[in-house]
Amino acid sequence: MLDVRTLSLLLQGAGVSLLLALGSIACATLLAMALCAMAFSRWTAVRAFYRLYIYIVRGTPLLVLALLVFYALPALDLKTGPYVAGLLVLTLYVGALFAEVFRGGVLAIPRPQWESARSLGLPPGAMVRKIIAPMVVRYALPPYINVCVMTVKASSILSIISVWELTFAAREIIERTLAVFTVLGLAGAIYFVMCFGMDRVGRRVERRLLAKGFVGAPV
Amino acid sequence: MIEIRGLKKSFGATPVLRGVDLHVDDGEVLALVGRSGCGKTTLLRCINFLEEYDAGEILLDGQPLWYRAGPDGARRRVPDQDARRMRQQMGIVFQQYNLFPHMTALENVCLGPRFTQQVPAAEAEERGRRLLNRVGLADKVDAYPAQLSGGQQQRVAIARALAMRPKVLLLDEITSALDPELVGEVEDVIRSLLAERIMMILVTHAVGFAREIAHRIAYVSDGLIAEIGTPAQILEQPRDPTLKDFLRRIR
Amino acid sequence: MRYVNWLTAYGPTYLNALGWTALTAVLASLGAIVLGCALLLIRLTAGRWGKRAVDGYVQVFRNTPVLLPIYLIYFGFPLIGLPWPAVVCGGLALVLQNGAYVSEILRGSFRAIDRVQFDAARSIGLGPWHTFRKITLPQVLVYSIPSLGNQVVLLLKDTSLLSAITVTELTMQAKLLTEQTGAAYEAFVVVAVLYLVLVSATEVFFRAAHRSVRWTH
Repeated sequence: MLDVRTLSLLLQGAGVSLLLALGSIACATLLAMALCAMAFSRWTAVRAFYRLYIYIVRGTPLLVLALLVFYALPALDLKTGPYVAGLLVLTLYVGALFAEVFRGGVLAIPRPQWESARSLGLPPGAMVRKIIAPMVVRYALPPYINVCVMTVKASSILSIISVWELTFAAREIIERTLAVFTVLGLAGAIYFVMCFGMDRVGRRVERRLLAKGFVGAPV
Repeated sequence: MIEIRGLKKSFGATPVLRGVDLHVDDGEVLALVGRSGCGKTTLLRCINFLEEYDAGEILLDGQPLWYRAGPDGARRRVPDQDARRMRQQMGIVFQQYNLFPHMTALENVCLGPRFTQQVPAAEAEERGRRLLNRVGLADKVDAYPAQLSGGQQQRVAIARALAMRPKVLLLDEITSALDPELVGEVEDVIRSLLAERIMMILVTHAVGFAREIAHRIAYVSDGLIAEIGTPAQILEQPRDPTLKDFLRRIR
Repeated sequence: MRYVNWLTAYGPTYLNALGWTALTAVLASLGAIVLGCALLLIRLTAGRWGKRAVDGYVQVFRNTPVLLPIYLIYFGFPLIGLPWPAVVCGGLALVLQNGAYVSEILRGSFRAIDRVQFDAARSIGLGPWHTFRKITLPQVLVYSIPSLGNQVVLLLKDTSLLSAITVTELTMQAKLLTEQTGAAYEAFVVVAVLYLVLVSATEVFFRAAHRSVRWTH
């Protein structure tokens, strides 16, 4: 029952899923930093745009966003395939999630630490880099890891817009061979390993950062 | 009446009760005093089996509670159903967080009779109203604990304990967590219970109150009852050196 | 303007699909909450193995995408003699997946209950079932209302995945209309707006529910 070809297809699919997830995590992190800056902007219009963006992205199912992008891209005359559409959608979606995580991290910084930072009189760039960013990292790291794991799971939705990854491969195989339980069981196990593994790695990173007295325990 | 013989309990490797012997008569009020960590609260909790104990016996009106000898002679816990029946004969009031926050005062008081003693709803409600009236909270029957002061909550807790018609009332530092101005209303309720001659065992720091209402005071030290006697004996003529020390410190 | 025409033409079709989405979401949410309560009960009363079993269940569903149980039930059940309708298969998958998350939410709320209450319950002679029903469960559910609201919103969005197994809910409807008319934008933008409305309505509902609980104030 355990076909080598099946297994190899699934593992290749897993590789694609992982690449998609990691790629969007990287892009989404950058996007989220920009969005988060917008969330704290001086201008009401910018903050309102942030809130609107979050509202729309969090209130619409990922699949609907994906289908919109999928249908919209050819219409916009961009010569792209499902992979780019998938990466774009995932980035836009996860970027919103990361932005909220970062925003939460900023808000979690206790006021006394803001005040000490400001009293040091550093220029804004250095202040952000050396003082605020490390504190945000400390508070935002656990939910950040959660969103990363969510991204891996969300990548499976892209299978519906014809992105060939693990779930797509599994469905293909099932429709051919009807070995539903084994194939999906295997695919599930592979996802489990990826997600659980990512969670574990994240927790180890978190422990390392705290152990170095990175920012210390929360006040 | 309650008879305790050779009660021993350890938490892990730390002995907390080292062989407590105690006898309390019907209608008697016994106060347990002592330093923090001496075992007085653990003793109280063992009496109604909120804590298991390692050795010794507790008898209520001659009936052994909580453990019995199994067919092989080994000591065995009684089945949960029997334990629950035994517990109903004792009411306990804790230091705080007694009440169920999602129920009104009346619902809190009626819960035990309705679901444990199978008292019909109407009768349980009547009993509940009477008891709440007795503790001076007739106008708060439909209030939720969040809307009551600490003293009022403790009074409802006393009413709830009494609703089960217990033979014994156990009180675990019931005024220690209250703001000073609320302590009096709770002590008044306890005073009013003296007339009913219900057996009460109270763990307390309020030595003055203990002197006033207790028939005997037991000084617990290091897991044993180091000295026991009338309030006059204990407070004015203490013999045990640690007791003298304790009294000096709290004066 | 063209949206107005679009809506007049396809309004009823959308409403039908909206009905399916809403119905599936409501029933699956209720099912997930019931399952979550059952898992909590098992965790509390079945000892070490109960805890491990529930933990295992939760870990499986936390680390796998929800599409897999959907496909598993939809494609697999007919093979074992249970040819259930697609919407039931999908709904069941949603219940199983979200039940795991609900049980974790409830478990967190359980920790917020002061231990003394369980001593008090024991002291008035309440047995384990009565303690669970009258003391634990009401408080756990009320404390969980905000987080449950979040979870229901996630479940609502996940109903869109049932379009992959031919259930005619909102997303499927948008796809069908796109294929029929080629007007992808109109089809999907309307659907996106409808989802936003549903999500907002759910959030309003849960906020109101939270505020209506009298005993926490």
